[in-house]
Amino acid sequence: MKIKRYFALTRAGILESFQYRLAMLVMIAGNLLYLTVVYFFWKAVYSSSGSDVVNGMTFSDTLIYLVLATALFNFMEMYTVWEIGRNIQSGKIVLDLLKPMRYRSYLFWSYSGTLATQFVFTFLPTFIIVCIATKGAVPLGTNLFYFVISVVMAVIINYAVDFMTGTICLYTESIWGINIMKQVIVLLLSGATIPVAFFPEGMKKAVGYMPFQSIYNTPLTILLNEKPDFTEVFKALGTQAFWCAALLILSSLFWKVSLRKITVNGG
Amino acid sequence: MSEIIEIKNISKEFKVLNRHEGLKGSFKDLFSRDYKIVHAVDNISMSISQGEIVGYLGPNGTGKSTTIKMMTGVLEPTSGEILVNGNVPYRDRAKNAQDIGVVFGQRSQLWWALPLVESFKLLKDIYQISDDSYNSIMKLYKSLVDIEPLLHKPVRQMSLGQRTLSDILAAFLHDPKIVFLDEPTIGLDVSMKSRIRALIHALNKEKNTTVILTTHDMGDVDALCRRIVIIDKGKMLYDNDIGHLKGFFGSYRTLKIRPSGDIKEQSEKLKNELDRFSAAVSVDNEWISVLINEEKAKVMEVLGEIQKLHDVRDMKLEEISTEDVIKKIYEEGVE
Ligand SMILES: Nc1ncnc2c1ncn2[C@@H]1O[C@H](COP(=O)(O)OP(=O)(O)OP(=O)(O)O)[C@@H](O)[C@H]1O
Ligand SMILES: [Mg+2]
Repeated sequence: MKIKRYFALTRAGILESFQYRLAMLVMIAGNLLYLTVVYFFWKAVYSSSGSDVVNGMTFSDTLIYLVLATALFNFMEMYTVWEIGRNIQSGKIVLDLLKPMRYRSYLFWSYSGTLATQFVFTFLPTFIIVCIATKGAVPLGTNLFYFVISVVMAVIINYAVDFMTGTICLYTESIWGINIMKQVIVLLLSGATIPVAFFPEGMKKAVGYMPFQSIYNTPLTILLNEKPDFTEVFKALGTQAFWCAALLILSSLFWKVSLRKITVNGG
Repeated sequence: MSEIIEIKNISKEFKVLNRHEGLKGSFKDLFSRDYKIVHAVDNISMSISQGEIVGYLGPNGTGKSTTIKMMTGVLEPTSGEILVNGNVPYRDRAKNAQDIGVVFGQRSQLWWALPLVESFKLLKDIYQISDDSYNSIMKLYKSLVDIEPLLHKPVRQMSLGQRTLSDILAAFLHDPKIVFLDEPTIGLDVSMKSRIRALIHALNKEKNTTVILTTHDMGDVDALCRRIVIIDKGKMLYDNDIGHLKGFFGSYRTLKIRPSGDIKEQSEKLKNELDRFSAAVSVDNEWISVLINEEKAKVMEVLGEIQKLHDVRDMKLEEISTEDVIKKIYEEGVE
């Protein structure tokens, strides 16, 4: 069974991530710090605006959104760009290319274990705490079901973006700058740091044509929507599905072309 | 015997940027179109049969690893054809990967944080090895090396030698038709080297696996290879039996002497004095070695000459070693 090899990689990833317990603790501590900053920043924004509702969101709406966005980020961040870049620099990529699998799936499934652990140890606890602490501000109905579907597609889109960015490392051999650039673009345009509702009209429109908001804004909006409207949800999921397909094809083509070009030129 | 690897006139060129020095130079490089072509592999042909162990030799930076990367499908040849087990490696990389195993001496394909047995299990699933084949190869491994203590050790806690051993076992796990070993004994001590040689030898015997071995250690070559291929600056120099190699330059013998006095000084003197015999003089801590081509000079004559000029305290005569022949080929080429 072919599918077995993928789950074998997931399993190894879970085993591996348990080897790095300290890293997990550091990540949780870092999150708390970040969330404290978020709390005080938005408190200041709201108190200076003099109104309880800004851009259709109350202070607690915004806070819930951002806490969950952070949790989502911690769960989805796979450091793929680092991984590819480091493997290219160290030459380890040669060994990965010689596995009887496509490199893109090999890398993804190698990381899926970490993804699973991060989901259980960062996203889920945060989600439960938010649910309890806000006493019902997060609706628990069919939206959860749509949310799961949406997150799966968000993971795929996020990975495809990362993989394409990582492919650029084949040309530049510098990881740091490219990774930071990608990080900033994705975090800003996806609604992970500022809810898309706060974007100026023109930018909102522009972001609508990009895949980034499908990574954070779409799943979170679906999750926090109390009375999901079918057409709206399906439109959102449809857009995500479109980006999934488009980016998977694009990243695959880009990788093929690049690998060929690079091996012709050396590097 | 069937040909498992067929290589016809392959070449590989790398286009590299001519880099400039300093800050200003680096900035210039950003926009530079000043490329130079490196001919890493230049028109090489060979065919290799199932079950052979071939020593693939050559000085540093002559294209051995590049050739291996082309045979494994990581690099595409600039020109020429390769067939590995009927596949074009670059085009069918994933398919080809199922038939080959690789060990690159400096890196490991094992999962760093996991015990060795977990890596093996993972490879079992990745290569879709059946339970039966897996169990039988593990049984074979246990009969060949003492892996029990290694199996439950995380790879990052292994010594270089233990890790190399594990990597070789991992490369043979899915019973590949061909295994490429790129400097597998680099950095290992004498006893580990000989254990690894014995292991490779046994696996080749047992499984009839074709082995392509690059190394700078002629001990590996003597212990394992019947056939050797030598390349230099990307070009083929030699491809034949190892036995044939020794007679290749005529009959050589090494005369080893220990004179009284400072050995380094004496060897410098000898170099000049033996000039007319066209003998090569080299020196280590204990012995001065004089490599004599018996077609050009008689050993006894050379010895007589040395005795006339020096006080020889000890001497011995050795047949030429593979190491010496290879060194000569690297230095002088093949006429
Ligand atoms: N990716 C690359 N880009 C540019 N030049 C390269 C690249 N890879 C190898 N070369 C050049 O090609 C030549 C052959 O390199 P290769 O690694 O094949 O040598 P080798 O025979 O394996 O040497 P060694 O015994 O030191 O391992 C060298 O001159 C090297 O600098
Ligand atoms: Mg090499």
